[in-house]
Amino acid sequence: MTRRFKHLPGQIGLWLGVALLVLWSVGPVYWSFVTSITPPNALVSNSLHLWPEAATWQHYAKLFGANSTSQGNEVASVWPQFSRAFANSLITSLAATALVVIIAAFGAWAFVRLQFPGRDVLFVLVVATLAIPAYTVMIPLYRLMISLGLIDTYTGVTLIYVSAFLPLALWLMRSVYQAMPLSLEEAAWLDGASKLRAFVQVVLPLAGPGLVACGILTFLSAWGQFMVPLVFSPTLATKPLTVLIPEFVTRNYVDYGLMNAAGIVAIAPPLLLVMFLNRYLVSGLMAGAGK
Amino acid sequence: MALQIKLPRVGKDARLGLALALPVALIMGGLVFLPLLSTLFDSLFRIEPMKPGTPFVGLRNYSNLLKDSTVNAAWITTAIYVVLAVVIETVGGLAAALLLNRLRVGRRWLLAIVVLPWCLPPVVNAIIWMWIYNPSYGLLNGLLLGAGIIDTPQVWFNNRETGLLLISVVHAWRMMPLTVIILLAALQSIPAELYEAARLDGATALQRLRKITLPLIAPGLAIALSQSTVFAVNLFDEAWILNGASLDTRSVIIQVYVLAFQNMKFSGGMALSVLTMVVSLAVSLIYVLRVYRETRFE
Repeated sequence: MTRRFKHLPGQIGLWLGVALLVLWSVGPVYWSFVTSITPPNALVSNSLHLWPEAATWQHYAKLFGANSTSQGNEVASVWPQFSRAFANSLITSLAATALVVIIAAFGAWAFVRLQFPGRDVLFVLVVATLAIPAYTVMIPLYRLMISLGLIDTYTGVTLIYVSAFLPLALWLMRSVYQAMPLSLEEAAWLDGASKLRAFVQVVLPLAGPGLVACGILTFLSAWGQFMVPLVFSPTLATKPLTVLIPEFVTRNYVDYGLMNAAGIVAIAPPLLLVMFLNRYLVSGLMAGAGK
Repeated sequence: MALQIKLPRVGKDARLGLALALPVALIMGGLVFLPLLSTLFDSLFRIEPMKPGTPFVGLRNYSNLLKDSTVNAAWITTAIYVVLAVVIETVGGLAAALLLNRLRVGRRWLLAIVVLPWCLPPVVNAIIWMWIYNPSYGLLNGLLLGAGIIDTPQVWFNNRETGLLLISVVHAWRMMPLTVIILLAALQSIPAELYEAARLDGATALQRLRKITLPLIAPGLAIALSQSTVFAVNLFDEAWILNGASLDTRSVIIQVYVLAFQNMKFSGGMALSVLTMVVSLAVSLIYVLRVYRETRFE
């Protein structure tokens, strides 16, 4: 009894800290959600409500609706732009994720298990680019993409994402393969399988968690990219949500309900990843941070 | 006497290795290494789409940057971001990591919650905070007015100091999870017996933190510090969304973007991006060296 009593202040402090940490991490997102379901006239009132007195889906209706009103006037619906940008975000992020995971899955294994000329030099150079900020290559890349006609194309944007996120994926996958015993593959070789076949049939299935972690990290990074598409995606042909949503601001009237609703929709995919795959995400971040 | 030339023997394994590494080499070579070399090389020429010709100008792009008062102001702004963001992330991140390390139940879930801000698009984060910082109806004004700390609603970005602080907070909100994860991994590698022994010797909690925890997580701390520094030097999204190209809050990277893609001075932008790369590499190297040296004498 006395022992429990002695620890009580510490316990209270601990849970107070936990509460503070949760509030700091989730509070702003929660506030954005509350804003997105608050009617416009309540948004401009002087009293703060932690939950709207009359919740409404009208901001979402404005995003998803065929027509919409703003301050009583009929205005053009944002749905055509919004849906296009959402699709663009999804297409470029998924394409980059698929490419990065496939190239890293095979490439990192080659770096670990196969001897070939230039192997170590290439690996060191590629990993060294992790320390180089992306914008350093932005201007030559812009001129290159113009000369190749790849500005504002899915191919152009996806390739840039792949080049930006491949080094981390290679680094992660290399540590995954290094941790696997060679005897697994040797057993398959004795059965007459080629090295590639042994890799695909024996090693690759075991590397699943590592590949998932790479995929999550790549998807999140691509989904959140802003400066690359700001330069390389000037029109709705490839413009993602991250570039479209801030454009809602630059109008004369800032519709905060709409902006927060759009933000919540843009947050949904990363939020789902964190909720359902957080184990892989954290292990991937930990392995990546160990560099 | 026959000259023996050793050709690298390209066997079956090596061919497979080359084939699998080829996509890596092509993508990184074409989209990173060549553009990087081209940035270094082209920064010695005057390349401006609005002007004819691309004459060699030597280091004049660099010397022009040193004389440019706007660029110098952007360096100071970025330095302020770095100090504020690194302090917030390191102090907050260390506190959060110590807390998580002591937690027995629900650690995985709390970690998932803590990681959340890092996972969201930085632009959306900035928009969420922009509404919180809103001068008329924002949460920040509402809370401070309610608590009686301020009497009238503040237009936060009218004041450069508060603007810089608030942008740093948004950046730190996003980047702190990385610090937490790095430090938590370092904390978990400390053997528990050390704390038991210190407790038996009568060491206080503060002494245990200073004599055991901090020295032993120093390598992790060095990684965390250099990561937060590099990311803060590269701060763009938050400042751009919250305050645009405003001179008050213009970071070096915003300056690069304005120079290259708004003023169409490609070579000036390239020279500035080279300088920024050098600075961010140098700063992170200094941290790592210094912390390693200090731990050796400990």
